[in-house]
Amino acid sequence: MPRRISRAALVTLGALACNNGLQPVPVCPPGFVGICGTVAFRGAVPDSTQAVFIVAFDSFPQTLSDLFKFKPASPVQLPLDRPTFAYAVPLPNGRYDWVLAVWQKVGTLTPQTAGTLLQETGFYRDASDTTKPGVVLVDGTRAGVDFVIDFDNRHPVCSYFPPCP
Amino acid sequence: MTQLPCGVLLALLCVPVRAWAQATGVVYGSVSDSAGVPISDVRITSGRAAATSDVVGRYRLAGVPPSHAVLRFARLGFRVTLDTVAVPAGDSVRVDVTLRPGRFALEPVIVTAAKRSQLLDQSATSVALVSDSDLARRAVSTVDEAVDKAAGVLFLNGQVNIRGSSGFVEGLGSRVLLLVDGVPANEADRGGVDWDMVPLDEVQRVEVVKGAGSSLYGSAALGGVVNLLTRDVPVGFHGRVRTTAGAYADPPDAAWRFRDYVGGLGGLDATGSYGTEAIRGSLTLGGRHSDGYREQDRSDQWEGAGKLEWHPAPGTRVTASGSWTSHQYQVSPPWCEPGQCDDRGLAFQPFRIGISDTGAYTRSDKGYAATTLERTASAEFAWQARASWVRTHFTDFQPYNWGVANRYGTELRGTLRPGGDSDRVLTVGLEAARADVTSDIFGRHAENELSAYGEGERRVGSVRLSAGARVDEIGLVGGGLAGQLSPRVGVVWPTRFGTWRGSIGHGFRTPSLAERFSSLVAFGIRLVPDSTLAAETAWAFELGDAVSLGSTRLDAAAFWTEARQLIEPTFFDSGGVPYIQFRNVLRARLRGFDLSLVGRPFTPSLETSVAYTFLDARDLGIDSVLAFRPKHLLTLAADYAFRPFSVGGDFRYVSRIERIELGLSWADDPRVPAAVLDLRAGWSRDACSARLLVTNALNYIYSLTPGTLEPVRTVSVVLTWTY
Repeated sequence: MPRRISRAALVTLGALACNNGLQPVPVCPPGFVGICGTVAFRGAVPDSTQAVFIVAFDSFPQTLSDLFKFKPASPVQLPLDRPTFAYAVPLPNGRYDWVLAVWQKVGTLTPQTAGTLLQETGFYRDASDTTKPGVVLVDGTRAGVDFVIDFDNRHPVCSYFPPCP
Repeated sequence: MTQLPCGVLLALLCVPVRAWAQATGVVYGSVSDSAGVPISDVRITSGRAAATSDVVGRYRLAGVPPSHAVLRFARLGFRVTLDTVAVPAGDSVRVDVTLRPGRFALEPVIVTAAKRSQLLDQSATSVALVSDSDLARRAVSTVDEAVDKAAGVLFLNGQVNIRGSSGFVEGLGSRVLLLVDGVPANEADRGGVDWDMVPLDEVQRVEVVKGAGSSLYGSAALGGVVNLLTRDVPVGFHGRVRTTAGAYADPPDAAWRFRDYVGGLGGLDATGSYGTEAIRGSLTLGGRHSDGYREQDRSDQWEGAGKLEWHPAPGTRVTASGSWTSHQYQVSPPWCEPGQCDDRGLAFQPFRIGISDTGAYTRSDKGYAATTLERTASAEFAWQARASWVRTHFTDFQPYNWGVANRYGTELRGTLRPGGDSDRVLTVGLEAARADVTSDIFGRHAENELSAYGEGERRVGSVRLSAGARVDEIGLVGGGLAGQLSPRVGVVWPTRFGTWRGSIGHGFRTPSLAERFSSLVAFGIRLVPDSTLAAETAWAFELGDAVSLGSTRLDAAAFWTEARQLIEPTFFDSGGVPYIQFRNVLRARLRGFDLSLVGRPFTPSLETSVAYTFLDARDLGIDSVLAFRPKHLLTLAADYAFRPFSVGGDFRYVSRIERIELGLSWADDPRVPAAVLDLRAGWSRDACSARLLVTNALNYIYSLTPGTLEPVRTVSVVLTWTY
């Protein structure tokens, strides 16, 4: 009987102790294909905000119509009630020249209104020249794509395709 | 010529001495228990030779006939041990002995539950003991580590819980009263407990009284009392040096690593004492350093403690004691939220802090001084008077805050035993205290307390009945006094099915000055003061039974506490801004049961214990689980001794905390049950002992309070030398 008790106690102990406790929880889960990182918010969120997304472009847009060639097709909307947010955006493997946050103003978004309703409000930067966008190579999980979303420093689409009205 | 008679005389004198010395030998050595703790007052005999071990367990038995002598070691509470040793004539031989507890162990004597000496089985409330043997074999470094393993006790980030009493409120407003040799030692400002106020080396044993103790101890004893009993000063010269060195394990995952070196810890304590029959004194000095087990967690501590005893006449003792601790430590705030540190792509980084918290640092100085006069006038009457002063002083850097608090107390107590036995006992006393605080976050306030108490106990047949009450008048200086009446009745009934005990008692706690007047921002959340906070009250019921079967002791108790106006931190949102305020919770209920089993079921060399507490704690106002109260608490321990060696371990399981407070931002933090294994090994011989400890041996990563990691695996070696 004592042996049974001690065996039962050992089995119980083993079962309890072999649980490893807290485990690392990656923002990008295992097997995830896309980019992950942390965005830090600066400035006050404008009252006219409809949403903020993170999108990526294979190559830097050259025309207004190129602006609609972003990925993913259904972009992830960011929560705006916290100073930072760890995000994960699914993207196909490949090279991306421009990863940015897009601020969308309240309104009905159409190709005609895109120029006024969409504004760039932060982008992943080249470490060697932070004035330029950083190139992101996705081959499975690409972590560490961190950048700042600055609501006080938004750029309308026309600033990339001047003249602005 | 003149040298010849002297030489002859010397020769004549030496001949019988040499002849006697050749005829007998000397046996010397030490006596200790299975944990290596020296045992005093052991009677050692061999034939007509006899000796008694001293306070450090040493003995010297002279006049032992040569050849094979049989030594007999005997002491009440331990098994009689016989040893046969070959004693060379005119020579000495060393024999170290380990005594095992007797089949019928001595009933421990406790002093806290009724404010007087009584046998453990005569207490109407549950009491958990941490003996000097427990302290020695666990070789812990701090007082809270020593108390943490007591049955039914759980620490939540430094805040002590007895049967779920305190929850977690960042150290504010403890519902457990800390006593140092019976002197109240809770902080005057926050009402919390500074566990580093007394060096562990000074502590001989700990008594933990569970349930409401306000009928004797007043405010703060709502959930229980922890009494640290310091060592008596022995006669003669004695010394003790204890040194600790160790290292913290790295995080189990490389992504959590936060430094490129091994974090270490170390400490040194030295105690010296000298005593005569009339006057005795001791002094302890020590210091310790820790690199911490997480980012920004270094600490340095210096401590000193002293005790003076004067025994002017039989039955009279005057004691002056005190301690002072200076603790400088980096403040390791809750772990960083995503994006506030280098999270390395992880949803949370438990070892890292946010960038904005870098550099937070606190200096905390604290100490107490107490003088006690005890007089046993006769077998029927004894009294004591004491005066005490507890002082705490903290300075926070980044953000800068400071505070100084004092608590002055005095007490006069008498114990009457008509007939000189324990059949009828009456304890009465008067107590007065004044607490004050000056701080940039608490303001400047003072509070006075006046109390009177009395408790009587009478044996009727085999049943012991007790009843008592305490009246407290407490109020802010300049304001009115508020009265509290705290009665308690108890019964102890020895039967053939064990000794049954039952009690009903009232408890209360006046909100601490900090809970009423704190105004600060902590971790981005503003704490809002509320000077109208009311005292929290509770009725505590308990029914228990203690059964001894040989060397095995089973203690079981069911408890039920109905609390009103419980002061709990409440999180609320106003205009999108988060706030915390201490508010009275209308009603709460804490009920459950605890079991404790200590025994040697397999072999006398193996001591095992099981302690389990089930707790059902509910906030009846919102019909929800009370925050920070785990439902299950299990502690298993086993120690095996073989001659000077011993091995053992503890396993502690704490079920997942179902509900937390103190902010929404941590609500989604992962929480797991705690399952922690501590291992230990020891060697002890004569005055020296060495102990190897591996705490949290499996490097189990867990948290009990929001965003706060509990200690990782720590390996340490403790060396002790006792003179």
